Amino acid sequence: MSNVTQSKVTQRPLELILARNLMSSLSTPAFLVDEGGVLVFYNEAAGILLGRRFEELGTVPQREWGSLFGPFGADGEAIPYDELPLVSAVRSGHPAHAEFTIRSADGAEHAVEASAFPILTAHGSRGALAMLWPSEEREAGAGAAHANGASPA
Amino acid sequence: MKVKLWGTRGSIPSPGEDTVRYGGNTSCVGVTLSDGSLLALDAGSGIRKLGLQLDDEPRRLHILLTHLHLDHIQGLVFFAPAFRPQTELVIWGPSSPEASLRDRIARYVSAPLSPVEVRELPCDVSFRHCPEAEWEIGPARIRAASVSHRGPTLGYRIDDAGSSLAYIPDHEPALGADLGHLPEEWISGFELARDATMLIHDGQYSDQEYSDHLGWGHSGLGDTLRFAQRTGAQRTVLFHHDPTHSDAYLDQLGAEAGRRWVELGGEQGAVTVGAEGEELELPVRAAPGAAALA
Repeated sequence: MSNVTQSKVTQRPLELILARNLMSSLSTPAFLVDEGGVLVFYNEAAGILLGRRFEELGTVPQREWGSLFGPFGADGEAIPYDELPLVSAVRSGHPAHAEFTIRSADGAEHAVEASAFPILTAHGSRGALAMLWPSEEREAGAGAAHANGASPA
Repeated sequence: MKVKLWGTRGSIPSPGEDTVRYGGNTSCVGVTLSDGSLLALDAGSGIRKLGLQLDDEPRRLHILLTHLHLDHIQGLVFFAPAFRPQTELVIWGPSSPEASLRDRIARYVSAPLSPVEVRELPCDVSFRHCPEAEWEIGPARIRAASVSHRGPTLGYRIDDAGSSLAYIPDHEPALGADLGHLPEEWISGFELARDATMLIHDGQYSDQEYSDHLGWGHSGLGDTLRFAQRTGAQRTVLFHHDPTHSDAYLDQLGAEAGRRWVELGGEQGAVTVGAEGEELELPVRAAPGAAALA
């Protein structure tokens, strides 16, 4: 018995497999690129933010995926692909963070903060993982905290 | 290739009247290659008996460790050939950023846990981190890959004389994943087991038990069967039995596994429960496409 397909795809490194499994369980939008910068997965929460499920899109080559959601800065200018946190993390091996605005498939704009982390192993870089936090949520959360009498530490 | 199961138990040796047939020794599988040379997969307590049946002729022995949990290395200091100066022992295992394979094994093979130190072993012993690429031992091609378990852990694939053995005794591929629908490239251990002649795989838990052990690094029966189905393994041997599973329980588990495998469309008798002392011979398989060329 076998339903193994004949088209062989190289096995993903375990670290990426585990990252994908984790991301699949999170309600935080998260993106995963391999060591070559190819977008290999984003989770359902990210799909909601972008207005497109990953399954509709599949993997996206480097340099192409940035334009999917047109990140642009406070000045309204598009952020160059090379300056995106995920790209920086996978290239430099260091974490990166940025704030920008993305545009979803329905044209809605969302201000987000993005933190990207390189996935490093004994055998070198495997890729990078980025999580996005909508800035509105942070502001709303801060407002709620103040309303409850909490004070910043 | 010929395979002998010297230890099929997981976690801790479990001798006693309830484990006589499936055995109480922890993980060890002897593999005799097509040129007659011998490999040992893991060095649980089962390796002691493997060592006792070897004569004292000079020989090179390779031990392939999946990981360094105690149930996979505790037999090393009771492996008779390690105490013979004419033995060359090559121990393979996973790398770690924390310390070398030798230093990590030496934590067990040293005082106060052991009466001997690694440097005191009379044999010529060496330690090698498994490479990412395939390598050869005698006539066999060996492949190692990291798999989903706790801590750095490998699975192995051994190809020799047209047959292939996949050995993944500690494996939780379904952790956070739907094995039924996930693309194969995203399934831990898939390439090791792809179309294997024989898959020796973690079968520690029933599905009911697994629900209470998520993240412990082992598989429930349903996930093992699904993994075997997805990878196209011809025969599957359930392995790394839970220490609480009696012979009677494993009989039931085996019957359930066989029934469910057939329900999945598999061949009757192609899934069995590994028993200590069991000897299995892998049939020579024609290479893909060979029939068309004949």
